[in-house]
Amino acid sequence: MSRRLMNNPQVNIMSTDKKPQSTQTTGHAWDGDLQEFNNPLPRWWLWSFYATVVFALIYWVFYPAWPIGKSYTKGVMNTVEYTTAQGKHVVTHWNTRALYEQDMQAARAAQAPLLKALDQTSYADILKDAEKLKFAKSMAKVLYADNCQACHQAGGAGIIGKYPNLADDDWLWGGSFEQIQNTIKEGHTGMMPGFKGRLDDAQIDAVAEYVLTLSGQSSDAKMSQRGRQIFEGEGGCISCHTQKGTGNIAMGSANLTDKIWTIADVSAAKTALAKRAAIHQVVLNGVTRKMPTWKERLSPTEIKMLAIYVHELGGGK
Amino acid sequence: MAIAGLATQEQYNYAIIKKFVIMALLWGVLGMLTGVYIGFELAWPALNLDIPQITFGRLRPVHTSLVIFGFGGSALFATSYYVVQRTCQVRLFSDVMADFTFWGWQVAVAVSVIGYMNGFTQAREYAEMVWPVDLLIAITWVTYLIVYVMTLRQRSQPHIYVANWFFVAFILATAILHIFNNMEVPISLFSLKSYSLHAGVQDAMTQWWYGHNAVGFFLTAAFLGMMYYFVPKQAGRPVYSYRLSIIHFWALIFLYMWVGAHHLHWTALPDWTSTLAATFSIMLLLPSWGGMINGIMTLSGAWDKLRTDPVIRFLIVALSFYGMSTFEGPLMSLKSVNALSHYTDWTIGHVHSGALGWVAMISIGSFYHLIPRLWETKLWSTRLVFIHFWLATFGIVLYISSMWVAGIGQGLMLRAFDDYGNLAYTFVESVQFLFMPYVVRGLGGVFFVSGMILMAFNVAMTIRQGYRERAMLDAKLAAKLANA
Repeated sequence: MSRRLMNNPQVNIMSTDKKPQSTQTTGHAWDGDLQEFNNPLPRWWLWSFYATVVFALIYWVFYPAWPIGKSYTKGVMNTVEYTTAQGKHVVTHWNTRALYEQDMQAARAAQAPLLKALDQTSYADILKDAEKLKFAKSMAKVLYADNCQACHQAGGAGIIGKYPNLADDDWLWGGSFEQIQNTIKEGHTGMMPGFKGRLDDAQIDAVAEYVLTLSGQSSDAKMSQRGRQIFEGEGGCISCHTQKGTGNIAMGSANLTDKIWTIADVSAAKTALAKRAAIHQVVLNGVTRKMPTWKERLSPTEIKMLAIYVHELGGGK
Repeated sequence: MAIAGLATQEQYNYAIIKKFVIMALLWGVLGMLTGVYIGFELAWPALNLDIPQITFGRLRPVHTSLVIFGFGGSALFATSYYVVQRTCQVRLFSDVMADFTFWGWQVAVAVSVIGYMNGFTQAREYAEMVWPVDLLIAITWVTYLIVYVMTLRQRSQPHIYVANWFFVAFILATAILHIFNNMEVPISLFSLKSYSLHAGVQDAMTQWWYGHNAVGFFLTAAFLGMMYYFVPKQAGRPVYSYRLSIIHFWALIFLYMWVGAHHLHWTALPDWTSTLAATFSIMLLLPSWGGMINGIMTLSGAWDKLRTDPVIRFLIVALSFYGMSTFEGPLMSLKSVNALSHYTDWTIGHVHSGALGWVAMISIGSFYHLIPRLWETKLWSTRLVFIHFWLATFGIVLYISSMWVAGIGQGLMLRAFDDYGNLAYTFVESVQFLFMPYVVRGLGGVFFVSGMILMAFNVAMTIRQGYRERAMLDAKLAAKLANA
């Protein structure tokens, strides 16, 4: 297409499209062939634009919209009423905070009778009442995620060596409803002393081998026999873990006779040597773990619901 | 041809444009590769290899800065310098100042991203640069404004072409946004840390006033300027409507400034501010579409070119994505929709339908038009441009659709309640749900960046071809002169 033709505002622009074009260009040309037609605004475009303006105008009438000095237009016919958790009744114009308060008020009202019923029912009866149990679990799921999950992990899986697993049936401080409730409420400090300096490496290895015997995993009977003498004698292990090695929930000492481990990762150790080494570390260095108290942060009902939730994770007794 | 070409090379400053084009492509490939990597990091966090410098939090601003400022910014410098010279028929006002804008900008981008990887950031989204870089950008940008406006003033054309309005609006608005958003007091002369002059919700307001107008003026108005030159040029057709271009230009410029607060719905922001942001966003829809209509209708009467010209395809698909994302944006800015979409990957999908679909596609199309003209040759391979087109389009579609699934799913999960009014899902459950969409999104990114790498290769070969042809012509000319 030649420039002469393109620069003539009257000319029809040639194209493969056979529709006749009668629109004129503005008459200017830049950089050779750059031109602009002067088509009118598309009707549908213009009217849609007006429609959005009307939408905005109507919106401004009904909602808070324009600032005036230190205040603003509040909007008409948009009264919102709610009562706060502290019992204060508020009547105001539409605003996002009020909507939130309204939602919370509705949830509080719906949950109040159920919470009260839960309060007045024993653990045993809640367990038999499917509806109450479902409600308690629903409430506690959120409480657990907010308060417990950071340490005990999703589903109560725990982290070996750090935070106990809550989903198995091994309980350091007892797995009944009342015991779990007490643990959450009061917290616990579990402490096993380290034997560094009191027992030498060979002695600790022997004790570790005996501990493996307790859960039927020993591979060296002679060593285990030596370990038993230390376990029951100069090591003094039985004062917490008991003669049988079953532990004592009164002081949170671990049961060594099951194959569940919370500090030494024996299950993950492949060889007999590695299993012994894992236990060796614990005996050598000791363990101190602290579960905080929650009674200042959670209400008795919340703790009760959490006890049910934790109990029902899989291992409650 | 060679003589005419030589004359053009001397009439206009093409050297500066070439430099910006090459840097745009380099930053583009790097930035998009970074994007793909961090996209996969979200699916497989172990990919951060426990190296602080390449964790998601640090690479994310590296990605956004490289693609927005490195790629987008350099592409805008290149095309705006080209457009202003061609449509004013005059050389740039000052070669030295233009060169300064090149070095200032490239140093700012490079220093910024190295800083981010090492933890130096002022933690303002899309304005993470520490204060010395802010100063460098301010000086560079004012120089850009002077070069541009002075070139316009020296034009040998009676009228200013529409593309230049958009470029000037972009340069002016960006200067204002940058300066007001970065008002800060350094802790000391020798510290990179600084305090923002604003506080609390006003700080957040300023941040998003900047953030959204960066979208409005940097990523929209400026690229519309690009569109207004390269679409009619490549199509060989006049722009559809001069009247529409005036109306939608002023409507766009006026309305954009109000809408930033729609990024802060349902927060401590006053409700009236939210309302204004939402309603102005709705009113912004048609002015945005004005640009799309003007671009697409320019092709009216030459639709057949879509079959044969891959460059036109890039330009037209860019306009289609522009239309789609400027429809999606106002929708998401309504408070009730925002309650679902905010803080989810829907937002990420929306941004990328704009960033990949509109910004990148229009730049790529413009570059395919521009590059052969700069180096006075033909594109080395048109076939590769077709392949690039399909890789890019397929990549975007994967990206956007996976993020719709991710975002809407995530939004529904995060606000689902059970029978008792308690949250039905924990946060981590929503994260688990996101895994598959994240993998698909990453694949989309792989497609898109493959196209970019192909383009870089095609451009390198085109430039080589340009130099060879030039050398041959020079040799011929020399032989002729020797014979005569």
